[in-house]
Amino acid sequence: MKISLLRERPLWRWWPVWLLQHQSAAASSWKKLQERPLSTFMTWLLVALSLALPASLLLTVNNLNSVTSHFERPPQFSLLLTEQMDLDDATHLQQAITNWPEVARVKLIPRDEALSQFIALTGLNPLLESLPRNPLPHTLLVSLHNTAPEKDSTLLAKRLESSNGVDQVVLDTLWMIRLEEGLRAASRWVLAVGAMMLLTTVLALGNILRLTVVARGDEILVVRLIGGSSAFARRPFLYTGLWYGLGGGALGAVMLWLFCGWLAGPVNALFILYESQQRLQWPGIHYPLGLLAVAVVLGWIASWMACERHFRQLDKQ
Amino acid sequence: MIEFDRVSRRHGDQHALRNLNLAVDQGEMTFLTGHSGAGKSTVLKLLLLLDRPTGGEIRVNGDRITHLTGGAVARYRRRFGVVFQDHRLLFDRSVHDNVALPLEIAGFSPRDITRRVRAALDKVGLLASERADPASLSGGEQQRVGIARAVVARPEFLIADEPTGNLDPQLSSEIMSLFEAFNQVGVTVLIATHDMPLICRLRHRIVTLSSGSLVAGDAS
Repeated sequence: MKISLLRERPLWRWWPVWLLQHQSAAASSWKKLQERPLSTFMTWLLVALSLALPASLLLTVNNLNSVTSHFERPPQFSLLLTEQMDLDDATHLQQAITNWPEVARVKLIPRDEALSQFIALTGLNPLLESLPRNPLPHTLLVSLHNTAPEKDSTLLAKRLESSNGVDQVVLDTLWMIRLEEGLRAASRWVLAVGAMMLLTTVLALGNILRLTVVARGDEILVVRLIGGSSAFARRPFLYTGLWYGLGGGALGAVMLWLFCGWLAGPVNALFILYESQQRLQWPGIHYPLGLLAVAVVLGWIASWMACERHFRQLDKQ
Repeated sequence: MIEFDRVSRRHGDQHALRNLNLAVDQGEMTFLTGHSGAGKSTVLKLLLLLDRPTGGEIRVNGDRITHLTGGAVARYRRRFGVVFQDHRLLFDRSVHDNVALPLEIAGFSPRDITRRVRAALDKVGLLASERADPASLSGGEQQRVGIARAVVARPEFLIADEPTGNLDPQLSSEIMSLFEAFNQVGVTVLIATHDMPLICRLRHRIVTLSSGSLVAGDAS
């Protein structure tokens, strides 16, 4: 008796069969989801929320990073020199510090220049002219190499402070270093929250799909009894996972856009108040694509887990 | 040809089968009978590799089957058409789609599937119900859909477990006639049943089991 079995066909004849079976599994699982629109939508919402939350946090951190990178520059110190230091002494000190390996450049601001800059900026001319002498000291602006870590700059500040003729050392970029460290911590926090949310999604989706698998247990049993492979029995559920992932990922991307739309007004207004050219960065195309990819993979993992568990139980029975 | 060679199946201290020797020839129609718990279903389960023997060997067309695993089990099962007492139809799809399932698994084209499904439904007299919901059919009609599904892929062997269990004598007789019709075109048929009045009227081999052993009928 002649019977057609997949494995007995040559590969070129097997390929269209495989495509047909996939087409049929994809269509039947989509039809099943359409029959339960509310629960399908709730599952999409679950996936969407679990992904949109870490994605929006990531977007926030990326936006903050881009703000700080805007005024990114190497650490810089201002050395306020003592009263006794005249311009020659200041120039000598400038040359000495320039030779230090961590130092990129040293700019000297003579006290007269500092005063005229101060007058130009503040408009306090009459008041300052009434002073018997220029109250400002000579100042050296010491810029470090970009690569200098924070610890080195702290040590350097101490060395600079102990140099002859230096009255006070001010780290101009300290607040930025603190902000950057804060952002690094926030990035890690986002990663951790994201990983937890992904795990939650897999578990929740796994349970939903497990219920689907159990509800269609008869079908799995019959398919296996009449010679369907595990792959054949699993296929409709993998497509269910795919549809849950695609729907949830797309909905998550829409949520992310709504989130940005809601934030853009006040955030951009804030930038304008600070006279910054910066504007809120909207999620690029990689965000929706990434959300879809992650959601689909999660859907697959969850449906695979649900099927394998059911198959194991069937085998035991 | 199906051969059970001193096959045993033990669950703890309970023997479902004890050293059973049984051979069903190619093209033969055999009834397997006995009381509940005699081992009829165990024979069918072992044959379909839904269970494994604890002793002895089962051969189908000379090939040992007890060592098969994974995809080989699935391919092996496609050589059988199986009819269940409770039909095991899927009520979320039409009669056509139920019957088409073995063909989809075997990888037939949609055109071939339609042609063969219609032919199988025609044989069991249900072509007119092709698009019907199986739940809307009577018990006898549902069993005939089950038979159409079992034979649609033209299997070498047709196995049935109490196929007339829930049917009245008239319907049971019709169902048995269907099995005989498939047997006449060369399909090997093995039916587990305890419907003695019905099978005694038919002139086929009867094998009786009791407590997992053969008590009446020849082993081969």
